[in-house]
Amino acid sequence: MPKAANYKTISIVYFKGDINEKIYILNNGRVSLNYNDIETGQEMHDLIKTGEFFGVKSAMGKYPREETAVVLQDSSMIAFSVAEFEQIVLQNTRIMIKMLKVFSNQLRRIHKQVRNLLKSGNDVVDPETGLFNIGEYYLKVSKQKQAVYALRRYLTYYPSGKHSAEASKLLDAAESGATPSFSTPPASSSREPGSDLSDVAKSYYNAVSLFSQEKFKEALSEFKKIIEDGADGEYEAKARYEIGRCYYNLQKYDVCIKHFTSLIQKYPKHPDIIDALYYVGKSYEGTGNKEKAAGFLKKIISMARDEAPIMRKAKKALKGLGG
Amino acid sequence: MALDLSMFNRFAVNFQAGDIIFCEHEPGDNFYLIQSGRVQIVKIIDDLEKIIDILQPGELFGEMAILEEAPRSASAVALDTVKALEFNRENFEILMKGTPQIALKLLKLFTKRIYDQKRRFLILTLDDPQAKIADVFLMLSETQPVSDNSVNERTFMTTVEDIAHWAGISPSESKRILGHFAGQRRLEIFPDKIIVQNINDFARFVSSKRRSQVSE
Repeated sequence: MPKAANYKTISIVYFKGDINEKIYILNNGRVSLNYNDIETGQEMHDLIKTGEFFGVKSAMGKYPREETAVVLQDSSMIAFSVAEFEQIVLQNTRIMIKMLKVFSNQLRRIHKQVRNLLKSGNDVVDPETGLFNIGEYYLKVSKQKQAVYALRRYLTYYPSGKHSAEASKLLDAAESGATPSFSTPPASSSREPGSDLSDVAKSYYNAVSLFSQEKFKEALSEFKKIIEDGADGEYEAKARYEIGRCYYNLQKYDVCIKHFTSLIQKYPKHPDIIDALYYVGKSYEGTGNKEKAAGFLKKIISMARDEAPIMRKAKKALKGLGG
Repeated sequence: MALDLSMFNRFAVNFQAGDIIFCEHEPGDNFYLIQSGRVQIVKIIDDLEKIIDILQPGELFGEMAILEEAPRSASAVALDTVKALEFNRENFEILMKGTPQIALKLLKLFTKRIYDQKRRFLILTLDDPQAKIADVFLMLSETQPVSDNSVNERTFMTTVEDIAHWAGISPSESKRILGHFAGQRRLEIFPDKIIVQNINDFARFVSSKRRSQVSE
């Protein structure tokens, strides 16, 4: 049961270092939380407002109190156990979301402080090199699947990064290395078998790597060749999509629009259909047809999942149009 | 606590065993709630893939993405076939309002993270690398309950790399310092654990270093 408690001026609700599972809400009066700032050592006094909870973190986390709660003037408060507190906030999400915001701000601040200390003491690899190193590591230990993931991600985020040429090469190796290891064990029926497929995959990723090096013309002719050579459904669809991206990057906007329009008709279920719409929209923007561009971008926004990266891109592009 | 999460089905994502869900150093903007299967949190340290944690259904991961779009500090890999709900900052509030239990879970997670980070900060403010490492053991000892307080020996299921990570010191330097402590018979190093002979000895050592730093 929650318990009401009254405290006289200059009494203490709890001391720093106490272990105590109570959470308090201040009904009236004045309470100050006193502690030393961990960075400067300076003594801090945080005043609790009436209606505010305190003692939440240490009680919920089951660790010693980090501050001393001093009563500055006669106060009344209610003390809850952790379980009682949880019941209250579960029924009052506004309180909880507010607390989450406060805690996340504190967490962000302390993270930054830790990072600053680490930076001064240690060599920290930049994320770009870090991501590349991981792809390289997985390839070295023959975890092709993981290597492919990391390297593809690298090429997505850093298409013209300092390791992109090397990453494309490793990706080739990881992709082609993956096939034989799948065909040897007998129980590998779930993967695409056949060696000619790996040739297509090889030329496909070779073309992707050219694209990532911004050699769009060369990439375009490689992708075209894949289709001329009669690739199977999956790689044909992939290559056709990439051809459109090449046209876009070569600023051949009219061709790009035509190409993607026919692709959308031919493959209405293409996994990259929304991205294709994006390039159509951006191409219209390139030709100066803002109205059509906005139409396509709005369509994307109505179709894409809220959290999809394309959503953000489309919104940004739409803003760029001034619409 | 059985939660009805059917209204979030549109956020469901599936992974095969061995799939990387996200990769260390990759920019992060999603976080996940496991519905079925297990997820391994791994980090590559000194050319070795190290398992930091194994998460079960009902657990959250990648939650730092709610706070900032910082690169991921570890990779998440599906250990089994995994079904998870994928959220981001934009739909975070919908989730919190719809299922307060998840918000509460997150509140507890943040509480723990804030404490861990504050404690880590205190370790990092020590100037002396030996004191830093001794303080890492004190931190580990604070979070593990002891049955008998009169016994000073403590066993930690930890490794040199872990200690190095917490102390913010390179693994090779940490190894050297731990070797030095072992030479003084203050601790013993095993492949999967480290035994500290007298935790109070480390506590005295750290607090004297901290005092001398303040008075400087």
